[in-house]
Amino acid sequence: MDPKGELARVETAIVVPDQAPDDALLREFGMEEHPQGGFHGLLEVIPTKADYVLDLIRANSLWPLLSGLSCCAIEMMSTATSVNDIDRFGMFPFRASPRQADVLIVAGTLTTKMAGPLVRLWEQMPEPKWCVAMGTCTTSGGRFKRSYSVVQGVDRVMPVDVYVPGCPPRPEGLIYGMMKLHELVKQRRGHWSTYVDRGPQRTRWEGDVR
Amino acid sequence: MRLLTERLGSRARDLWTDEDTVEIQVDGAANVEVLRTLRDDPDLEFFFLTDAGAVDYGIDAHFEVVYHLFSWKHPAWLRVRARVRRDDPRIPTVTDLWEGAMFHEREMYDMMGIVFEGNRDLRRIYMSPDYRSFPQRRDFVLPDDAADSAAAGVNPLERPETWDLERFRQAPGVTFPPSEFRPDAPAEGPPSGVQDGRTLADKSRPR
Amino acid sequence: MTTTERPQPIPDPIDLDRAEEARLRTAAGLSLSVTQRRGEYAGFEDIGLPDRPPQTEREAEVYTLDEGEMLLNMGPQHPSTHGVMRLVVKLRGEVIVDIDPVLGYLHRGIEKLCENATYTTVMTYVDPMDYLAVMHNEHAPAMAFEKLYGIEAPKRAEYIRALVVELERVASHGLMMGFLSLDMGGLTPILYAFINRDEVVDLLSAISGQRMLFNFFRIGGVNWDVNDEFLSRLGTWRSHVLKNIEMNEHLITDNEIFRGRTIGMGVLSGRDAIALGVSGPNLRASGVAFDVRKAHPYSIYRELEFDLITQESGDVYARYLQRIAEIKQSIHLIDQIIDRMPHGPVQAQVPGIVRPRPGRAYAAVESPRGLYSVYAISDGGPTPYRFRMRDPSFISLQALPKLMPGHLVADTMAVMASFDPVMGGVDK
Repeated sequence: MDPKGELARVETAIVVPDQAPDDALLREFGMEEHPQGGFHGLLEVIPTKADYVLDLIRANSLWPLLSGLSCCAIEMMSTATSVNDIDRFGMFPFRASPRQADVLIVAGTLTTKMAGPLVRLWEQMPEPKWCVAMGTCTTSGGRFKRSYSVVQGVDRVMPVDVYVPGCPPRPEGLIYGMMKLHELVKQRRGHWSTYVDRGPQRTRWEGDVR
Repeated sequence: MRLLTERLGSRARDLWTDEDTVEIQVDGAANVEVLRTLRDDPDLEFFFLTDAGAVDYGIDAHFEVVYHLFSWKHPAWLRVRARVRRDDPRIPTVTDLWEGAMFHEREMYDMMGIVFEGNRDLRRIYMSPDYRSFPQRRDFVLPDDAADSAAAGVNPLERPETWDLERFRQAPGVTFPPSEFRPDAPAEGPPSGVQDGRTLADKSRPR
Repeated sequence: MTTTERPQPIPDPIDLDRAEEARLRTAAGLSLSVTQRRGEYAGFEDIGLPDRPPQTEREAEVYTLDEGEMLLNMGPQHPSTHGVMRLVVKLRGEVIVDIDPVLGYLHRGIEKLCENATYTTVMTYVDPMDYLAVMHNEHAPAMAFEKLYGIEAPKRAEYIRALVVELERVASHGLMMGFLSLDMGGLTPILYAFINRDEVVDLLSAISGQRMLFNFFRIGGVNWDVNDEFLSRLGTWRSHVLKNIEMNEHLITDNEIFRGRTIGMGVLSGRDAIALGVSGPNLRASGVAFDVRKAHPYSIYRELEFDLITQESGDVYARYLQRIAEIKQSIHLIDQIIDRMPHGPVQAQVPGIVRPRPGRAYAAVESPRGLYSVYAISDGGPTPYRFRMRDPSFISLQALPKLMPGHLVADTMAVMASFDPVMGGVDK
């Protein structure tokens, strides 16, 4: 691999951070040695924590857009009403206008005629926005796999963050999907994080929903 | 049944009955008169049109428009089958008798291509207005994937030639080193679907 | 810097004179809309109103604007929870002059898919049609296929069928109550309606395993018998359902705002209803006593006794009262069914792939929205030759262009919710 010993004679630079980061958060997220993670003064503490708090705020008040198309919409409404309540997660206001909504829960079969208006709704939503494909019709076409007018999965027309399978998924299933979405939002792991460069992803791979 | 033969005369052919349904066949052009007689005659009084549908019997055969009627005076459903030619599928409309037949006829036009003469609103109801095929005909074959259908491809999503693949070509001037397993191979570009570090997930808005 | 001519900015189309725009479009070879040809303002091209010449008389009628009229698009996504329907409403001020419902945003091609599916698989395809009355969706094809195959379901199966069908009717009518208030802005009754619905749906999930798209009926009976869990939940439910329904009803029925917004709105006369093909509670609220369970009794409805209730006024309030009355009748029916249920098998002996003799069969049931019927043609093979469904919500929507003109925009939702359309059935 190195017959002339050239590589062995190169001195590798050793990087020593000038301040040992002693923040538990940085260690938790594995960002101690990251150039954007180390502490270089008070001014860096606030944006890092503020980013985290911003993500917490986003996650805990995701406002869904009323885009119930079909049977899954009834289960989505059932999730939103008293017995399985997602108001406890901050998602009570199902906004009618896309301009005020954060997450588009596509609930129901997407047909080729409806694909245009749905994509227009998606484009009208301001960022940050996430998309949840609820039910098998939006995941892959579902039971209408061979139909001439069903879009085989909503990810053919828009980027999806969470897929919730089921026909229709139980309200508990949809809540689990929203918990996964919370995780994505807090870790900046969804498709939205590929649009803007806000720094590295704070991914935790061990453990589950928190 | 006897009543039917009396009142309709030669226009009704091929009576058939079950304990539940009575069926008559009529010619396509005579459907309005027959249905009018059925509705207005005081002994028959089939006042409610419960269903109007179309059947396609094959590429070489005919269409059929099937009406189901209900009357208080008769316990069975009445089925009226009107035969329509396949090469020139025209039949008079019954919207003058029942306004509620409008949506039925629009659906039959949309799905089978049967033209109802005299219908004031014969446009597509289920498919987009610019759709070109008639999905419920026998020669419209359901594929396993809509894009492979011979009759599909009206939407850009179903037509691969409209997909914009330029975004997935690699940018000029970018070369990658040859693989360690094949040192003589030419430089390969980034995997398809990646351009300037962006991935397929960015498909939702134009760049 | 040499003096160069500043490039002229491209005029924004909205700044152009109307005639100017029409002239430019003609020069460019683009089509003109109806309103452009008449010389009126046409700024709506990009929001989905047709920019091609009207193809039919009725389309020309709706999309031609007189002095002072405008078109408002209540698009496929709107807060009314009926699903994806588009209403193009022609307004003069706030008063509706004409309305054009555009359907098809949920058309899934179920009839075509059923032609390629075996008779048992058809049950899974028809489930999501009218997704709030799923058992009725399955009842009609089951009856039609049994007629084709020439068998009858055993008595116990018929009783179980009637039981789940009436339970579904209670859930669906209760939801209509909630949706009607929701569309008029009342956010509380929908919560109660969904609590009721969740109770019924938990009941039905004990017997069929699914909360919503049950796939419970089979040719020749039902899939599973009642079990202990179902019976215990049924007992609990029955003991408090009448009280709950009455409590929810009192929330709304004597409410001044509700009465003011619904009495006298959307009056549909009996003649018009029959001509339009409206059936079910909508027809009975207009005074016509037509119920498929009484007119052409099927299943075990000959042996059960229930009253046929009608209302006289035919307005939104009457349709609401009709549904409340029908909930109570359904509970009465459920009591009788539980009393009289015989023992026996729940499914006739039917092979896995059913091949009926060639023939035609028509079966109609009374769904919470009206007369739901199936016309099936068999050619002797494993799949149906033609499977046609007639959905009641689809036909009831034809009443909208007849009822809406003269009302205000805000009443659109009330009148539409009173017909209780479910877009899965409308668009198949």
